[in-house]
Amino acid sequence: MIKLILQVLAAGAGTIGFSLLFGVPSLYYPYCGLIGGIGWLVYLCLLPGSSATIATFCATVVVILLSRWFAVRKRCPATLFLISGIFPLVPGAGIYWAAYYTVSNQLQMALETGYGAVKVAVAIVLGIVFVFELPEKWFHKWNKKNNK
Amino acid sequence: MERSKHDREVLLAALEAGKLLLENGAEIFRVEETIYRICKHFGLTSASAFVLSNGIFLTSGDEEEKEAQFAKVLLIPVNGANLGRVAEVNQLSRQIENGAYTLEQVRQELKRIQHLPDFPETLQIAAAGFSGASFSYLFGGGWQDALCTVGIGILLYLYLLKIGKPHFSKIVCNILGSAWVTFLSIFCHRIFPGTHLESMLVGGIIIMVPGVAFTNAIRDMADGDYISGSVRMLDAILVFFCIAMGVGFMMALYSGMMRGGFL
Repeated sequence: MIKLILQVLAAGAGTIGFSLLFGVPSLYYPYCGLIGGIGWLVYLCLLPGSSATIATFCATVVVILLSRWFAVRKRCPATLFLISGIFPLVPGAGIYWAAYYTVSNQLQMALETGYGAVKVAVAIVLGIVFVFELPEKWFHKWNKKNNK
Repeated sequence: MERSKHDREVLLAALEAGKLLLENGAEIFRVEETIYRICKHFGLTSASAFVLSNGIFLTSGDEEEKEAQFAKVLLIPVNGANLGRVAEVNQLSRQIENGAYTLEQVRQELKRIQHLPDFPETLQIAAAGFSGASFSYLFGGGWQDALCTVGIGILLYLYLLKIGKPHFSKIVCNILGSAWVTFLSIFCHRIFPGTHLESMLVGGIIIMVPGVAFTNAIRDMADGDYISGSVRMLDAILVFFCIAMGVGFMMALYSGMMRGGFL
């Protein structure tokens, strides 16, 4: 349990670090951290019960939903939140292993890990695309309801 | 003539805004929308913009010559991202719509945004080390890994700021950068017991991962801007490949040396 909390905090912290590197104004850092942390939390919770692909997809959906919500609320582009929010989900380990196996001539493993990384990347793409299809009006309505 | 001069100023301002957005990692639809917003507010209806991820084509004027004939093309190299500037230009265009600025003030505001300083370099380097460490923990590292990754992240970012980005092409910069990260990770793994090569490496590499390009590529393609989307996606894939190659090269060197028994 503690490990879970620490992981989520680390994800949030890493997301904030990246927001700085991408020039996001500092007043948005808490939201970036929140989104990154929640995204990672969703991923960790879903991972044991399903595949990395599905977990990433759901986590991406949550990240984008939150990014759009905050974007409407703070009246700024959603890009500010979602780019750093996505980072914990990008298959960095997949790249490493694919490269490692390729170099050590284990083609079978290289293809397996590479394929896994591609699947996760596609999950992220689909997550982004589907949530951005939602009409912006929904987010305005949702915001108004919460502001009451 | 007054009208035509005014129109030219409006178009130049719109172009400037678009350039600022594109340079700093905005999506294509946002660039187009901003250009149109500015033109429309200042009374220009015949403006027509075609935006790619590395260029803007802007023309105006119609057959009845009610508005000035104007055409300009801008080439913008695909580069890093400063989302703060994107947010500022976005805010500016909203305020323009509310009538808060005259044309002259718009030009001044755009100049101001363009010269907004980036975060100080030391802070960026610290952030790189910090983020790298956080991510190495996420990928199964312990506290020793995190500590080493702080150093790896710092050294990587120093390389990127001082050597890689100013002097090398994108491909070479990325291959050497990831090779550098791999080297440092192997070094730390050998020197400090209890560290995991994988976590340190992934934590360091994630600093180089082209998050902005990848995400914007997806959004552009989803909007039907296939050319821009492909340009950005190709850029992102190229960087991914270069990172993998840098890692692979250094790992090959390492296992070659191990087998050769030099270490």
